[in-house]
Amino acid sequence: MLFDLSAIDERLRSHRHGLPEADFTVFYHLLSVSGNRDIMLKVALSERDLSLPTVISVYRNANWYEREAWDMFGIRFEGHPNLFRILMPSTWQGHPLRKDHHARATEFDPYTLTVEGQHREQEALQFKPEDWGMQRQSADADFMFLNLGPNHPSAHGAFRIVLQLDGEEIVDCVPDIGYHHRGAEKMAERQSWHSFIPYTDRIDYVGGVMNNLPYVLAVEKLAGIEVTGRIQTVRVMMCELFRITSHLLFLGTYLQDLGAMSPVFYTFTDRQKGYDVIEAITGFRMHPAWFRIGGLMQDLPKGWDTLMQRFVDWMPARLREYERVMMENSLVRDRTKHIAAFDTANALAWGVTGPNLRATGCDFDLRKQRPYSGYENFDFEIPLAQNGDAFDRGQLRIDEMRQSLRILQQCINNMPAGDYKADHPLTTPPPRERMLEHIETLITHFLQVSWGPVLPGNESLQMIEATKGINSYYLTSDGSTMSYRTRIRTPSFPHLQQIPELMRGGFVPDLIAHLGSIDFVMADVDR
Amino acid sequence: MTYTLTRVEDALAAENDRYPLGERQRVEDPMQQQVHRSVFTGKLEEVLNSTVNWGRKNSLWPYNFGLSCCYVEMTTAFTSPHDIARFGAEVIRASPRQADFMVIAGTCFVKMAPVIQQLYDQMLEPKWVISMGSCANSGGMYDIYSVVQGVDKFLPVDVYVPGCPPRPEAFLQGLQLLQDSIQEERRPLSWVVGDQGVYRAEMPSQREKHRDRRIQVTELRTPDSI
Repeated sequence: MLFDLSAIDERLRSHRHGLPEADFTVFYHLLSVSGNRDIMLKVALSERDLSLPTVISVYRNANWYEREAWDMFGIRFEGHPNLFRILMPSTWQGHPLRKDHHARATEFDPYTLTVEGQHREQEALQFKPEDWGMQRQSADADFMFLNLGPNHPSAHGAFRIVLQLDGEEIVDCVPDIGYHHRGAEKMAERQSWHSFIPYTDRIDYVGGVMNNLPYVLAVEKLAGIEVTGRIQTVRVMMCELFRITSHLLFLGTYLQDLGAMSPVFYTFTDRQKGYDVIEAITGFRMHPAWFRIGGLMQDLPKGWDTLMQRFVDWMPARLREYERVMMENSLVRDRTKHIAAFDTANALAWGVTGPNLRATGCDFDLRKQRPYSGYENFDFEIPLAQNGDAFDRGQLRIDEMRQSLRILQQCINNMPAGDYKADHPLTTPPPRERMLEHIETLITHFLQVSWGPVLPGNESLQMIEATKGINSYYLTSDGSTMSYRTRIRTPSFPHLQQIPELMRGGFVPDLIAHLGSIDFVMADVDR
Repeated sequence: MTYTLTRVEDALAAENDRYPLGERQRVEDPMQQQVHRSVFTGKLEEVLNSTVNWGRKNSLWPYNFGLSCCYVEMTTAFTSPHDIARFGAEVIRASPRQADFMVIAGTCFVKMAPVIQQLYDQMLEPKWVISMGSCANSGGMYDIYSVVQGVDKFLPVDVYVPGCPPRPEAFLQGLQLLQDSIQEERRPLSWVVGDQGVYRAEMPSQREKHRDRRIQVTELRTPDSI
């Protein structure tokens, strides 16, 4: 499976141990599910000849990744059928992730929108079927082109998809993304290692601290920090709690997209109960940014276990009720059974991971296959389904919530004692007791807090099983207080790329059911 | 508006009058002077205005529009634990043409800005805009090439709700502030009565209003217990 494909602008990098001369590097990250191994291929490119042959014929999901590399770095992929911009507007000038492109909006002329500019932009947003090799009519029908989004109630955010319709049947469709591109990867190049943590929360914005985890684990690998058992267990506990709130949001909106109004009111009530616990522990609801390099922001407060126990006791009956009322409901079953179904081979060809992959029966969960942060110490199962249809994707997430509750119960029962910060010079922010020894320790503390820690020049990669699939951070350090390049691989990006293949020949309501069942948020697609 | 006035007494016919009978003259709208001449009808305009505003502010229909994280908290405000129906704003409309106000809940992207403008233009008057969250207010923590530094660069904003993201309660407070401001607004009562301009009241700054009370807080709760 092609797990990831992107590039690095090497022109300003000084720590390049044994790497060939290059201005840009394109990397292909391949992952074998059966062998549970990775290979990363890197291709050195010179500025004068920024082009490579496309790999779409081998890996179908390279399509969007190559478009992104073109958009962000200006690298041409010869033979690519539609090498257009994907994240930036088509009227944009320049390639943002190049080192010579400005990062801040305030470095640039302030944004203005004139009446004329509005006309021009609207013109550029116009969908032209010919650009995508689509016909406006067949021998016996005129096709209708339906523009769904960028703002549509069932599109879960700023997502646009243009449908080519013959009656109500979808002949073909073209997803259009980039309406939610916040430039998180560029942002990482100007924030210190420490101050980038809050930005990670906002990648999969319903995943909360789950997003901190791959980032801090990758930084800890670079720094060589080993954390205590308590830190690991608290991290796992908070991640699983966020997995539950995220899945509850999924369940409510998924059923609402199918036309059931009430479930969203019930699941949001449960989410509120989850947030009560999260808020008591972290002090924030959605984006706590609570993990730190080498530890946590603070220790668990007194009385956290009774709160958590109350939540763990509350949920099982509710989950059973959702199953009874919704998943056993014949309307829901008719709308979702055998809809947008795909098998494991198809999923792997498109780079699908997480619950959507496991709904096809493929047992690949990083918490079991490549345990991180102490998951190997927990007793839980990986739920699987068989058909890989919209129904299985919904049901599987209910089962996953049950397993997360099991993990939470084990955390409550066996929370290890210990420090909430690792004993290491690069732990950020450093323990306060160390500062108060003498003037030297005070200065060191001051530098580490104001400029941030300096990490050795190296590369590290960490992937985790996030709420929506595999989320990974590939960090390149150039021996400085900031990251040289941060590549964020998000699960929702390939999930959206797969839509056209699944929907050809389907109906519009099937598309809505499928969109609901993918479980994506746009920030997790466009970053 | 001018009128053609025909008085009843002039219609009494003399022998040599021609048809049509009566003398006609062009005059200004008589109500114009009448209304302002008496204390009672002057009050009537007040009463009418506040009745209409009362109606408007208590049945605000939001446009179902979300951009990012803030939209999740906005949706949370719509569900049972926070229950926005208490403020008469639970009728989410999927079409901008049926909506009264739009909440810019999330980051305003350069690629999305023309789309937001288009949707705003499709909304019918009277319409209002709430900017929810730091990104929509000012760009927030995203001072980056792809983000417009505040939605007020191209839309007129009525209420700013701070936070990243704001709590659902903060959104509800923002909604109530919008309601207060609508109560004070002066819009034409019809397309023939009065000045056709929209007069938006300058509302007091919340920061200044609450500063004295806020700086009195000296003891903060420790985070060590729940």
